[in-house]
Amino acid sequence: MTNAMLAPTALDAVTLSILWSRLISIVDEAGVTLQRTAFSTVTRESNDFAVVLLDSQGRSLAQSSVSVPSFLGVLPMLVKALLQDYFPPETWQEGDVVMTNDPWLCAGHKPDIGIVSPIFYRGRLIGFIGTIAHSPDMGGALWGAGARDLYEEGLMVPPTKLMEAGRPNETLFRIIEANVRAARQTLGDIRAQIAANEQGIRSLQQLLEENGLEDLDALGEQIIQATEKAMRKAIAEAPDGVYTYTYDADGDGLREPVRLQATVTIQGDSILVDWAGSSPAHYLAINAVMNYTYAYTAYPIKCAFSPEVPNNEGAFRPIRVTAPKGSLLNAQKPSPLGGRNITGNILHAAVFGALAQAVPDKVQADCGSACWCIVLNGRHDDGREYVEYFFLNGGYGARPDRDGEHVLSFPTNVANVPVEVLENSAPILVTRKTLANDSAGRGKFRGGLGQVFAFRNIGQAPIQISILTEKTITRAHGLLGGEHGAYGKLEIIPPRPLPPKGLDKLYPGEEIILTLPGAGGYGPPEQRKPEQVEWDIAMGYFSRW
Amino acid sequence: MNSQLPSSSASRYKLGIDIGGTFTDLVLLDEAGGQVTFAKTLTTYPDPTEGILNGVQEILQKTNLPAHTIGTIVHGTTLVTNAVIERKGAKTAVITTAGFEDVLEIGREFRYDIYDIFLEMPRPLAPRNLRFGVPERLDKAGQVLTPLQESAIAEVAERMVRAGVQSVAVCFLHAFANPVHEQAVAHYIDKHYPHLYYSLSSDIMPEIREYERTSATVMNAYVQPLTDHYLRNLEARLQALGLHSVIHIMVSNGRLTTVEGARKAPVQLLESGPAGGAMAGVFFGKLTHTPNLLAFDMGGTTAKACLIHQFAPEITHHFEAARVRRFKRGSGLPVRIPVIDLIEIGAGGGSIARVNELGLLTVGPDSSSSQPGPACYGRGGQWPTVTDADLVLGYLDARYFLGGAMPLHVDLAREAIRQHIAEPLGVSVEQAAMGIHRVVNENMANAARVHILEHGLDPRKFHMMGFGGAGPVHAFQVARLLRLSRLIVPVGAGVTSALGFLVAPVAAEHIQSYVSVLERMDWGKVNAMLGALEQKGLDFLRHAGVSPDTATITRMVDMRYLGQGHEVTVAFPLGQLSASHVPHIERAFQQVYEQRYGRNIADIPLETVTWRVTVSAPTPTSHIAQAVPRISTDGALKGRRIAWFPECAQPMDIPVYDRYALAPGDAIVGPAIVEEAESTTVVGPDSRLEVDSFKNLVIYL
Repeated sequence: MTNAMLAPTALDAVTLSILWSRLISIVDEAGVTLQRTAFSTVTRESNDFAVVLLDSQGRSLAQSSVSVPSFLGVLPMLVKALLQDYFPPETWQEGDVVMTNDPWLCAGHKPDIGIVSPIFYRGRLIGFIGTIAHSPDMGGALWGAGARDLYEEGLMVPPTKLMEAGRPNETLFRIIEANVRAARQTLGDIRAQIAANEQGIRSLQQLLEENGLEDLDALGEQIIQATEKAMRKAIAEAPDGVYTYTYDADGDGLREPVRLQATVTIQGDSILVDWAGSSPAHYLAINAVMNYTYAYTAYPIKCAFSPEVPNNEGAFRPIRVTAPKGSLLNAQKPSPLGGRNITGNILHAAVFGALAQAVPDKVQADCGSACWCIVLNGRHDDGREYVEYFFLNGGYGARPDRDGEHVLSFPTNVANVPVEVLENSAPILVTRKTLANDSAGRGKFRGGLGQVFAFRNIGQAPIQISILTEKTITRAHGLLGGEHGAYGKLEIIPPRPLPPKGLDKLYPGEEIILTLPGAGGYGPPEQRKPEQVEWDIAMGYFSRW
Repeated sequence: MNSQLPSSSASRYKLGIDIGGTFTDLVLLDEAGGQVTFAKTLTTYPDPTEGILNGVQEILQKTNLPAHTIGTIVHGTTLVTNAVIERKGAKTAVITTAGFEDVLEIGREFRYDIYDIFLEMPRPLAPRNLRFGVPERLDKAGQVLTPLQESAIAEVAERMVRAGVQSVAVCFLHAFANPVHEQAVAHYIDKHYPHLYYSLSSDIMPEIREYERTSATVMNAYVQPLTDHYLRNLEARLQALGLHSVIHIMVSNGRLTTVEGARKAPVQLLESGPAGGAMAGVFFGKLTHTPNLLAFDMGGTTAKACLIHQFAPEITHHFEAARVRRFKRGSGLPVRIPVIDLIEIGAGGGSIARVNELGLLTVGPDSSSSQPGPACYGRGGQWPTVTDADLVLGYLDARYFLGGAMPLHVDLAREAIRQHIAEPLGVSVEQAAMGIHRVVNENMANAARVHILEHGLDPRKFHMMGFGGAGPVHAFQVARLLRLSRLIVPVGAGVTSALGFLVAPVAAEHIQSYVSVLERMDWGKVNAMLGALEQKGLDFLRHAGVSPDTATITRMVDMRYLGQGHEVTVAFPLGQLSASHVPHIERAFQQVYEQRYGRNIADIPLETVTWRVTVSAPTPTSHIAQAVPRISTDGALKGRRIAWFPECAQPMDIPVYDRYALAPGDAIVGPAIVEEAESTTVVGPDSRLEVDSFKNLVIYL
């Protein structure tokens, strides 16, 4: 049989169920290997990676289950761009591997590296497998919002063959090695991505063999159609209308705040989100490219409408996202992008705020996000260099039928670094990690509390520190009568000004105190059950109601 | 001969007792002759000791033995895990470093489900108003930065006791590197509040990562009072019956501890029950000379699979208790104790089949349980289940389910499948039933395949053992999907786990975190640490009545490339270690790493994290008596019936055998069905079944 059109009904429901689960199992398995061998803290602790299987046209068929939202829909856009603008189908050979970290083709900043391998079966190109993962370093300024333009953010590799028919491109490997701080780890992670792709290819070839399939076309078509149908059906159940929401965020936390303006149009079985009216690109490196804006806009929609539907091309066809060119949410060269996660991680608030007008029982109140990111860089007293990343989360928003959870990552999904591990990695002493009492918004259901995290430089030398905070001059929104959460705080002892987003030094003996914002409440606080109020006070979560 | 037992014939009997949710299974082994006697009684609530005593009496009557001839009792129980799941433990407090009282509640800050915004995180076992901070601080090397004042201990101890606390977990930062402050609290409690239970993190899990260590220590404190009470009671009642046996308790890694060990660290008992099933894999692996075995246990609501590699179960240190969502990794309370690594998926006889929003056929993870149960039970179940499909396909006999104790209704099974599956998909009832059967088998095979690959092993090198009520019905097809060549359906299906208890060795693992790269390792410190851990293990064995001369010591170390967050566990050489061992250790690490991940990374230093020393008594040998061979299967043929197989489009008329009438040497060509009271073994086309000398069914695929 050739790829010339098997009817879409070629596979019965049972066979389709079985093969579909196998495809997801294949990408998950590749993901496990990548995650376990990665050096990058964010890749391994925060699942900041994705493995995606695509058909020969670059349509996604299966995405690894655990990956974070930032990669939703990104690999198909990358592979389609590769096929159209860089490597047409006939130029691929078995054993090729293409690499790029172009933020406009990948996931919006240079540390995210995309690695794509073609899948050949019986001599024919039948699809692709791609991984995106956060690399330990890509050179340039210390990661954060501090870079003034794209060029300060390190090495950019346009789509290039890293392997050609199985032969490594030594020149490219040497260029990367010469440009990045932790060369062995960065190259190690790139090799881990290649290995994950190879493993996926082997498993897929075995699946084709076992099931007597020649290619993925008929199977892929059915997967995409079934998914699209389910997504459209879920959206069609929501009332049509145009829903808007305005959401102000910190920006630099000093003089230049930013505004997000969401216009969500539900029309029949599709959704359009337009970000017109949002701020222009920012001087800080918090700008998002369109791929990234798409991912973090589609994510809350998927959570609200069809959390169970697997990720593939079909899930995203009914969702369209637009943003004005050159704006904060559709940044163009040479806008700096390093800390774009701060912006991506608040888009859900505006989308949920708009959707609350249409489907109030399917959304949550705002979280104490974005996740705060701290990078410490310096030398131990014995001269060894360290670069240590860690992440802190605020409260999790209240839901229509239950409270928010305390200190929980959303919309990204980043684990913390244990205090004992952190103290083994950098010359600091953590002096406090507790829930931030009274930090959540009250409501019929209250938001989750944020946290207080404090640490002191106990080494002999200053520590270079990159800080990314959010909600120090804005707050997490309550929904439908729920109250806002409390402001976050960034303090240092002895007191002096610190940049809410940017680079500074932590001198020996100085102590930084970070108070992460709590989340918003849902529904009027007067409607809260008295026993729930009593419990919160007994536990000290709130000192008063 | 078992070295743990006095060799006098007066105490040559060994009794395994496995308490399950419904039944308490007992198995008595005569270590001299290999004769095995089984008993099965109902588990009693709230005090399961009643059921045990009933069973013991039954077995003594059956064998006509005096109570004192039972030398050893090996016991497994779900007591601890149930207490945690049902939140029925003690009122538990935490004493910790001031400023870190919420570590237990904050956890690791990540969600276990990416798309479910309605998810809930597990509630801590010690509420916030019972978590007390005291001023004290150690640095990463265990040096005291802020000394702990006795007055501070006195103050929180008094508040705790006033609040009615029964048990306390003491967890200070970096206590794994220096237990001095935790021990000061212990001394104070011993002196002033001798009736208060306490658990120190430096005893329970001296391992880096404060949340995980606190979580395990709190769980230990939470279950300690009730475990203590239960074991005292059990000992006293057995003695009253005239049994003065040594009692050993099955712990989560398939090894045995003493009653004292179980009282001190009851958290080790979390997976006591499932460990028995895994050890049964070891038992039958030895019996059938099968070193690599996938032990596949399928019951009413779930299927479990466990790898036995070279006659030993695979062990993991990543375990979670009381998951909010049973099959969701990350939704439970972490306990980094050594646990037999088994996967559990929502695929059992009662798992419900549906056509989902995508138009696909799905099976599980939700289950109809035993109430109302599958549609064919006739108890009002409306949804089609795996058991309904098995009945329609001709695998089960409606009149011989549970040996005929429970008649099944084929018409109800067909109706449920017709309405919910066949009609929506536009296929026949038989096709729909075959779909359910295939999908659930695929689910199990997928999970098993990923599990085997996660261990870096080749699925095809394994054989399968199928047990549990639904295991033998599905094992053949799952084995075929995994391309395994041989399937064993063991004898004694109803009491398989209890048999596993008889081959478990007495052993203890002691651990200590020491984070250091190999090239900067302080070998003097390492040798002192290993010496102390080994001494602890030998002392434990001595208390268990095992001669240290027969003990085996193993050193395993969790290691990683510097900068990585996941560790692999590497076997270390015995004896005094020094820098000269580094090349050997590096090679060992690379071998393990390569096996697991298929590659190595040159040039990056290696780091040790947690050091584990296991001191183990010899593994008991497992002689059981062989049955008498016979020549012909004629007497075993019960009849014939029509059954469907995925390999053939048309139904087939196949023979049905009575397992109890089969004898060693019997051979059957598939397709065929073999029935016994507890289960039915389905043998597919193109295969051959042989009954071995122990009456196990051995099927060649």
